Amino acid sequence: MSRQQTVRLARRLALVALVVVALAAPLSLRAFWLQSGLFAMAAIISAIGLTLLVGRSGQLSLGHAFFVAIGAYGYSYLAGDPGSPLASGLGWPPVLALLGAVLAAALAGALFSPISGRLRGIYLGLASLGLVFLGQHILFNATPVTGGYNGRNAEPFRIFGFTFGDSNPADLVVLGVRYGELERLWYLGLLFVAVAWWCAHNLVRSRPGRALATIRDSEVAAGVMGVNVARFKAAAFIVSSMYAALGGVLMALVFGRIVPESFGLLMSVEFLVMIVIGGIGSVGGAVAGAVFVTLLPLVLNRYSDLLPLLAQPGTSGISAADLSRIIYGLAIILILLFAHDGLAGLARRLRTSRRGADGPTDPDHPMSEPSTTKELAR
Amino acid sequence: MKRPLITSTCLALALAATSCGKAEEQGGGGGAGGGAAAAPGVTEDTITLGSLMDLTAVFAANSRSILQGANLYWDSVNADGGVCGRNVELDVQDHGYDPQQAVSLYQTMSGNVLAIAPVLGSSVITALRSSFEEDDMLVGMAAWTSDVLPDPNFQITGTTYDVETINAIDWLTREQGLQSGDSIGVVYFEGDFGGSSLRGAEYAAEELGLTVVPHQIKPSDTDLSAQVNAMANDGVDAIIVAAASPQTASIASVAQSIGLDVPIVGNAPAFTPNLMDTPAGPALEQNFYTSTSMAPPSLQEEGVTEFLSAYEAEYPDEEPIQNGAMYGYASAQIMHEVLTRACDEDNLTREGLQDALRSITDYESGGTVAGVLDYSDPAVPPTREVYISKADGTAPGGLTAVGDAFSSDLAEAYEFTG
Repeated sequence: MSRQQTVRLARRLALVALVVVALAAPLSLRAFWLQSGLFAMAAIISAIGLTLLVGRSGQLSLGHAFFVAIGAYGYSYLAGDPGSPLASGLGWPPVLALLGAVLAAALAGALFSPISGRLRGIYLGLASLGLVFLGQHILFNATPVTGGYNGRNAEPFRIFGFTFGDSNPADLVVLGVRYGELERLWYLGLLFVAVAWWCAHNLVRSRPGRALATIRDSEVAAGVMGVNVARFKAAAFIVSSMYAALGGVLMALVFGRIVPESFGLLMSVEFLVMIVIGGIGSVGGAVAGAVFVTLLPLVLNRYSDLLPLLAQPGTSGISAADLSRIIYGLAIILILLFAHDGLAGLARRLRTSRRGADGPTDPDHPMSEPSTTKELAR
Repeated sequence: MKRPLITSTCLALALAATSCGKAEEQGGGGGAGGGAAAAPGVTEDTITLGSLMDLTAVFAANSRSILQGANLYWDSVNADGGVCGRNVELDVQDHGYDPQQAVSLYQTMSGNVLAIAPVLGSSVITALRSSFEEDDMLVGMAAWTSDVLPDPNFQITGTTYDVETINAIDWLTREQGLQSGDSIGVVYFEGDFGGSSLRGAEYAAEELGLTVVPHQIKPSDTDLSAQVNAMANDGVDAIIVAAASPQTASIASVAQSIGLDVPIVGNAPAFTPNLMDTPAGPALEQNFYTSTSMAPPSLQEEGVTEFLSAYEAEYPDEEPIQNGAMYGYASAQIMHEVLTRACDEDNLTREGLQDALRSITDYESGGTVAGVLDYSDPAVPPTREVYISKADGTAPGGLTAVGDAFSSDLAEAYEFTG
């Protein structure tokens, strides 16, 4: 009893500390870390969407990049300057543009949901793969909207006259630190992530969440229990698309300029890697996986020069760039070898081993992890 | 019980590790050198140039070759005492053709480099354009797309793809019997490179009364039997290739096998010397040419022979690539000129580099780049001259020059739409 209370109190304190640190981060983080952190935040939001779809409703999607692109380009187009020579826009207020982009992705998800409802496992994976190629074609060729292969700029986010950019107010100084675009976006990113996390957390625990879990484990059983399988699967696909789009909007804001090549097959695969590393179906796992997959290459690339015995670029031999790729690949293999249910499973095992097996299990994780993978393999 | 403690400790450590330098970053970095403060990337004894290349993805081979050329040149400059009494160093980073990586790497390096050269990858360059502008950064771009005109931040080494193609078509009419009423097939990549080249072809065709038969392809398309057969059925009299070497090999082989015996001219990226050792070699020797401002490495001009002997001494087992090592060397020559002029003005800053580049009106590279280079107007490339080179398995770099560098009246009259 008292032990449980202490644990709970300690957890609360840790959470408070985490929030304080997150809020104070821009005061001390350098631009590289702020930017990498923001890329990670954008990935976190989209990855949560994918883990809900794949892990909670058993629909394998390789088309996630398509919906991220809808978010990024949708926002840039809706908020874009109508008179811009590069690619025109509609000049909406950024807040409306954000909502519009997310709704556009929801609509696209709804249009695709009849297909995702009929196919399963790898067949759905391949069908959704088609979305990525379709998306690439549109991004390259719908020049007036997308800017074609030159991409387009994303308007800085504005709300109540405050701009998340380098100007307006131009010189914002907080505790002696100049708050430029990255510092300001950091808070927007935190807000988006918090909202995304909170919604996912509640969705998983709610009635629809349980319905989805039933569908994942057996559509027949779910149907017998009175769950409207088709409707729930479609809803899961739509929600996941909206998550992807929100991540895309943040990504566009951090980049400042988006190009079609960013939204290819590789991005879809990276999202899958994130949720697999994190533990399919776990929201916390998706966060950890997204941070890992986004930051590791960036950090390795930045600091690999410090390692000795590496070849200079342009000569033969292993260069820092090659080495960072190798380490990245090895890290993924090792995690999957030693934690086949991902980082979330690893954390869960560590917790239960410390508490003894009778400790409370975390309701945040599907109890039937293996069945997910089985379902997907079918 | 233990966890919050561990978590907070880790967080504190992580913050401490990543936070050092925020103050200097905010105080020092950014824009052109402010008065007495030294410009980014310039110290007492070194000038650092940033380089963003693709060392691990699609263009790894090309990037490596470019860096070979750049390193050869700067090594020889540094051996002679450097520029402005300082050694020139390249800070090379690999973006793996990923814009996100590139943006992040640029963010890291931009405060510590005077200019960015060379940088490769059209999507990368596009994603970074607004940052370059913000930082007043001079950029030596390993691409010849006219899409970046009239952006003053970019230093193009030679002429652009559209002009390459216009000159190629003009040369075909003069030397290969192409005439009004004939048709040209254009196989081009979707994107800025292919788009630029196609624009040039369409302009030249209209002026000369030719018909263009366009075939858009993707870099992943490496079997072009269908396109070549279609062009044969359309009875094309010449083919322009605005693509990469695998596509060139396929086009030449398929054309030979179905008896389509017409000249094939590629833009600079369409050829690498290792093609001559593939089954496509004989077909290429018969009909393939490149049109570009970059000299073929076998050219008998002072600057090029100097490059070739240095290259063969350093990399005896490798072949210099026309738009790789040759480009890397030539673009470093131009950057050298820019740094020297900025030094003479005692203004080794980003702003000084921009001014120095625009002050160049009659630079001669010793043959490595065709023509006399004039960078005074950012709205046009520094030259409109090209070399036509023929595929030749016995020549270094797999190419020999056909005649001298030239620019056609068509190319001179061409207007850049940007």
